[in-house]
Amino acid sequence: MFAWLRTAARWLDHRIGISTDIVPVMKHPVPRQLEGPMGWWYVFGSASLTLFLVQILTGILLALVYVPSADEAYETLLYMNYVQPLGWYIRALHYYAGSGMMVMVLVHMTQVFLQGAYKYPRELTWVVGVFLLLCTLGMFFTGQILRWDPDAYWGLAVGGSMVGRVPGAGPELVSIMLGGPIIGADTLSRFFALHVFIIPGLLILLLSLHLWLVVKQGVSEPPVPGQQVDPQTYDAHYEGELRRGVPFWGEALLRDAFFSAVVVIAVALFAAYMGPKGPDLPPDPTLQGANPRPEWPFLWLFALLSLSPPPAETFIILVLPVILILGLLLVPFVSNRGERAPSRRPVAVLSVIVIYTTLGVLTYEGITSPWSPHMTAWSGDPVPVSMVKQSTPLQLQGAVVFQSKNCRNCHALDGVGGRRGPDLSTVGTRLTRDQLIDQVSNGTPGGGYMPAYGKQVNPAEMTALVDFLVSLRPPGHPPAYNPAEQPSPRSVEPGTDGEATANRP
Amino acid sequence: MSHGQRVSHCCRPGTPLWLLAAALFFTGCEPPGRPNQADRPLRPDQVMSFDRLYGTRCAGCHGAEGNLGAAPPLNDPLFRAAVGEEELAEIIRSGRPGTLMPRFGGEPPVLTDAQIKLLVFEIKGVPYRVRSQFDEITGPSDFSVEVAADGQPPQWGTVSKRPDDMPSLTPSSAESGDAKRGLQVFAQACAKCHGERGEGGKDDGPGAINNQAFLALISDQALRRLIITGRPDLGMPDYAGKTGRPDDFKPLTAADVADLVALLASWRETGANAQP
Repeated sequence: MFAWLRTAARWLDHRIGISTDIVPVMKHPVPRQLEGPMGWWYVFGSASLTLFLVQILTGILLALVYVPSADEAYETLLYMNYVQPLGWYIRALHYYAGSGMMVMVLVHMTQVFLQGAYKYPRELTWVVGVFLLLCTLGMFFTGQILRWDPDAYWGLAVGGSMVGRVPGAGPELVSIMLGGPIIGADTLSRFFALHVFIIPGLLILLLSLHLWLVVKQGVSEPPVPGQQVDPQTYDAHYEGELRRGVPFWGEALLRDAFFSAVVVIAVALFAAYMGPKGPDLPPDPTLQGANPRPEWPFLWLFALLSLSPPPAETFIILVLPVILILGLLLVPFVSNRGERAPSRRPVAVLSVIVIYTTLGVLTYEGITSPWSPHMTAWSGDPVPVSMVKQSTPLQLQGAVVFQSKNCRNCHALDGVGGRRGPDLSTVGTRLTRDQLIDQVSNGTPGGGYMPAYGKQVNPAEMTALVDFLVSLRPPGHPPAYNPAEQPSPRSVEPGTDGEATANRP
Repeated sequence: MSHGQRVSHCCRPGTPLWLLAAALFFTGCEPPGRPNQADRPLRPDQVMSFDRLYGTRCAGCHGAEGNLGAAPPLNDPLFRAAVGEEELAEIIRSGRPGTLMPRFGGEPPVLTDAQIKLLVFEIKGVPYRVRSQFDEITGPSDFSVEVAADGQPPQWGTVSKRPDDMPSLTPSSAESGDAKRGLQVFAQACAKCHGERGEGGKDDGPGAINNQAFLALISDQALRRLIITGRPDLGMPDYAGKTGRPDDFKPLTAADVADLVALLASWRETGANAQP
């Protein structure tokens, strides 16, 4: 029996070449220092790979149930959430393993950048890695679309209008992306194909190339301050490292496996605790309560676009990504020699700090998004009781006008309400009656953020509203005054310049 | 090798197995992440909780607890006792014409008929039960709200009986107010706080009610309601309240109320300083 098995194994080995071709690859030498504490820096790439395998597995399980049709997709997600045993858990795993993969890819990339591992002769490994990052982002975006809810619908709407800005080919590209000029029945099929076949296929191809390059060029040795990379001498130096090296099949692999296991367990626990993401309400564009947000890797871009003036939008959408991607691709060509140790590369360290601080702050802004109107504030957030109690009947009507004209969606009172415009709790100390009438009627001068409400507020409503706003002052504070029109309530030196003759008579 | 020993120490089989056991424990039992039907996202028309409906549709103007809001209180004993269920439903559906109260029915509806009925039962203090079809995938649908003595108790409590001498909130067609008489009633019932001709009186008083803007934003019907129920949350007495009124003050009759409304309406037309 064993003899027969041995014969079969030998036959297979002869045909495939496991012992001659594959085992040597697994046993290829890696620098000896990888068995030291520095070796723990080398685990993030394999953790990304492991989470990608989890994604393939959970993705296949999801594809067995998910129906990529605009009519049924939403309900199949609810079926997984509420009916199918553990369907919810597979969804949660797929989401958190995907998020974890994104994190691991970023950490891996940062480590490679900080330790100069992209330098000669590993430039191409970095370039392929950049494309792998783009694939991972692509998987994240297309995956969010498959979660066919308002986030998906509005994500598509924003993505479509971004693509539509491409000069010349805009409409054609939108049509290719959405399967027509608007989001329709074909759109979901396209994104399903992208998420399940096209991008993963590309990703696996690039990943094979990436791994081949890792084996071919060898794992970089941990950087030593003062040890310069010079393409003339590096190969000989690295060969020396490998001669003293240890096999990858050993401590290094064990570490990779250990860290990957920890990451997978963390993802599994996280998924069990947090549960699947969404779906939220159905993707109905007429639902007013929807508060769509992009997935977290894109929140920084959402914030950047929201906070930038309209003339900058096309630049941010079309030019900035090209600059960023080109910048990443060019990293190993701009510096493929010299120091590798972070302690000798202040520009690299500073770049990482600046980039992550920028992304972090923009992501925080994206999460809080104070520029978005708070759509139910007008009918949901009560006028503060202290303001109600001090109001005259007319001011009470003004407060109702304030709520019913949706002012509250952008303007907070006592910190509650929208954050897009200023909090108006003390506006009476800042603006006079006439200034308030002007602001409400005409909006922010020069087409600013506040729309003109002149046509939506009748004269009685305006009187009541402004009377209410003028009354919003802390106790003891005088109302605002216009020095050009009336004397100051405070004593002021007799005016010397023409207009501001604001002195007590 | 010393580093190697450290690694194998980290990798001793106990650690990951322990974590795996914890993972299995949580997936096998009731993991916190498992979607719960009670927390499922609801379309606006599937929301049937008074807290959420009132909190998102009414509280902005009528106050968090139904009083001390900018608009007249709904959690007001006299109003709750006197307003008719159908009348209330109609106000929510179509709004109050001549005031800032918006419609919540109509096309497209902001609130469904069942939601309006639920709000009416809550405000009227009627225990009720919500019936619905439930589908595990699509969630609840086909709502109906019906009176049920053992059903959901209204959040603001039950309603006391409407006082016998309380004038009706809706004017009978026979009544037509007389502004001239209204001025006499005003002097007795309102002037102490609102001033002789509604100009506002004292500094710390409730303020003027004779200005055109105020009167343009409030209908006769809404004035009538406020005269009858007062605004107890802000210290305004109801039709029978004695606060700020002479000792011999008698509760306002339906005719008194109609006269007061006529007076205020005349101020709205001509300004308060014209003779009624």
